[in-house]
Amino acid sequence: MLRTEKLCKRLDSFCLQDISLEVARGDYYVLLGRSGAGKTQLLELICGLTPPDKGRIFLEGEEITRKRVQDRGIGLVFQDLALFPHFTVKDNIMFPLKIMKLPLKERVERVQRAAGAMNITDLLLRKPGNLSGGEKQRVALARTLVTEPSILLLDEPMASVDASLKDNIRRLLRRLNRNGQTIVHVTHDFGEAISLASRVGVMHNGRIIQEGTPDEVFTHPANRFVARYAGIKNFFRVVFIKSYNTCSCITDNRTKFRLTSGDYPSSGLLILAAGEVLLSRQGAAGLQINNIHGVIEDIVPSPTGYEVTVNAGDHFFADITRREMDEQKYVTGEPVIVSFRSESLRLVGEGEEKKEY
Amino acid sequence: MKGHTPFNWIFTLLASLVLLFIIAPLAGMFLHTSAEEMRTTASDPAVIRSVWFTLAIAFTSTILFAVGAVPLAWIMARKKFPLKNAVQGIIDLPVVLPHTAAGIALLGFVSREGLLGGAAQKAGILLVNNGAGIALAMAFVSLPFLINAARDGFAAVPERTEKAALMLGASQSRIFFTISLPQAWRSVVSGFIMMFARGMSEFGAVVIIAYHPMIAPVLIYDRFNTYGLSAARPASIIFILVALFFFVLFRVLATERRQIFRREDDAAD
Repeated sequence: MLRTEKLCKRLDSFCLQDISLEVARGDYYVLLGRSGAGKTQLLELICGLTPPDKGRIFLEGEEITRKRVQDRGIGLVFQDLALFPHFTVKDNIMFPLKIMKLPLKERVERVQRAAGAMNITDLLLRKPGNLSGGEKQRVALARTLVTEPSILLLDEPMASVDASLKDNIRRLLRRLNRNGQTIVHVTHDFGEAISLASRVGVMHNGRIIQEGTPDEVFTHPANRFVARYAGIKNFFRVVFIKSYNTCSCITDNRTKFRLTSGDYPSSGLLILAAGEVLLSRQGAAGLQINNIHGVIEDIVPSPTGYEVTVNAGDHFFADITRREMDEQKYVTGEPVIVSFRSESLRLVGEGEEKKEY
Repeated sequence: MKGHTPFNWIFTLLASLVLLFIIAPLAGMFLHTSAEEMRTTASDPAVIRSVWFTLAIAFTSTILFAVGAVPLAWIMARKKFPLKNAVQGIIDLPVVLPHTAAGIALLGFVSREGLLGGAAQKAGILLVNNGAGIALAMAFVSLPFLINAARDGFAAVPERTEKAALMLGASQSRIFFTISLPQAWRSVVSGFIMMFARGMSEFGAVVIIAYHPMIAPVLIYDRFNTYGLSAARPASIIFILVALFFFVLFRVLATERRQIFRREDDAAD
C-alpha cells in the first residue's frame, strides 16, 4: 500500500538515509526510535510537507513523490496536534469538509459521525484551549479521519496524553486499525510498539536499522540499540573460543561463558535478558548452566519486584520477584552466584554492531 | 507593589517621574486653556476641517498600505531568503530617519520631476500639496509600526497549524485567510492602530510635502507661529481629544468585529 524506495533527505545537521519501507493495507506499522532519530522527518517526507532529495514514494501503486500535499490522500496527526485554536471543535472537524465543498447536510452528518466515533460529541462547541490532552487527541483524530485518508500517520500520539488516559487512546487506535484503517505510528516508547504494532521499524540516526513483527524484532534484536529498546541490559562483548567439543567465550573482563554448540564468529556481542538470570548463594546445577561469582552492587525496586545489579568483573542485571527477595533477603555487598542457561545467551548481528549504535 | 524594600521604593519613584514627565505637559495644556477658548476653537471651521481631514487621510493611508504591508509582514515571518536582514533594515529605516529628511527624500519622489510624481501627473494627479501626497508621507513614516507588529503576530502563529491545514487539503490562500490571519489578528490590528495613530500625528515629513491642505499638526504649528502659544493650545487639545477618541474606538471596534466574525461563522454552519 505505502512503499518508500531509498528515501534520502539532508537536513541542517542530520540526514535521512536510504529509507525503504513497505506498509501493507490494514497494517499497524510502528516506527520506533529516540527523539532526533528522524521519525518525524520521515513522516513529513511521506506526506509531502518536505520534498526528498532522492528516492521515491508510492501509495496504492501510484508514485506520489512529487504530488501536492493536498492531493495525496494521507492523513497526519502532528505530535502537538496543531488544532486551530480560534475554531471550535466542530469548526476544526468541519474545516476539511468545507474544502471538499460537501453539501452542508453531509458535512454536519460526517462531523456528528466522527465526533460520535471519537466520543467527543459533547465537546463540539468548545474551543481547543479548554480541552484536556486526551480530548485534544480525539479531536485531532476526528479532524483527520473525516477526510477518510487511505493511510493515517500519527506522530507520537500519546505524547500529550496523561498516563491514565493512554490506555483509552491505545484502545481507540486498535479499534481504528481493526476497522481497516492503515496506520503508521511514530513513537519512542517500546511499550506502545509492543501493544499496537503489527510491524515495527526501529530508526536510529536517520536509518531504519531493523524491521519485522514485534516478536521478530524484540526477541532477536539486530544490535545493541534495538536490544536496549527491548529492555535488555546485559551486554557482553566477547571473543569466542572453539575447542574440540565445547563452545565458550570470554569477555574483556575475563568472564567466561559456556555456549550451546554452533558456529560463532571470532568475536561478537552477547545479550542476556534480565528475567533469565537466576540469583542464588550456592549456584545452579546442569551441563549447560553458567555459574558466575559476584557481589551484589545495587538493589532497585522495579514494577515486578527488584532489579539486582551484580558485579562479577562484568555487571549482570537480574530481575527477581518480591517473594524471592522476601525469602532470600539479599543485601548489597553480599557475595552471590549468577546463573543462566547457555541457551539464554543470544548473539546480536555482528555486522550491525560494528556501527557502534 | 508588595514589599516596602528600598529597591521597590526607588523603582516606584523612577517610574512615577517618567509618568509625570508624560502627564505634566498635557495636564498643563488643559489647565492653561479656558472653556471660552475651547468653545471658540471648537467652532472654528478651519480647525474642524483640518481634524477631519487628518483622520480621513491617516485612515485611508493605513488601509491602502495595509494591503501590501500585511503580506510583507507574513513573508518576513515565514520565509527564509537571502538578504532578509537587509530587507528588515529597509523596513525599519523610516523610524530612524529624521522626519524632515524623510519628507525631503519623499518630495524628490512625488514631485513632478520624481518617478511617482511624474507618473501621477500624467494620470492627472498632483501629489505635492495634495491629500495623496500627505497620505504617502504619513505612510512612509508609519509603515514600520504595522509591518513589525503584524510580522510578530504571524511569527507567533504555530507553523504546525498551517501545515495541518495544508494536510487537510487547504490552499495557501485559504490557509492565510482562515488560519494565519485570524490567529495573528490582534497583532495586525494593533499594528494598524499604531500606524494610523503615528500617521495622523506626523508633522515633519508632511509639512515638506504639503503645507496646504493643512492637517491638524501643521495647523497647530501654523497657529503657534502666527498667533502664539495661547492660540495653538486649544487646537492641540481638540486634536488630542479627537485622536484619542478614534484610537479607543478602533480598538473597541476591532474586538467587536472579531466576535461578530465568530458568530457569523457559527451561524453559517
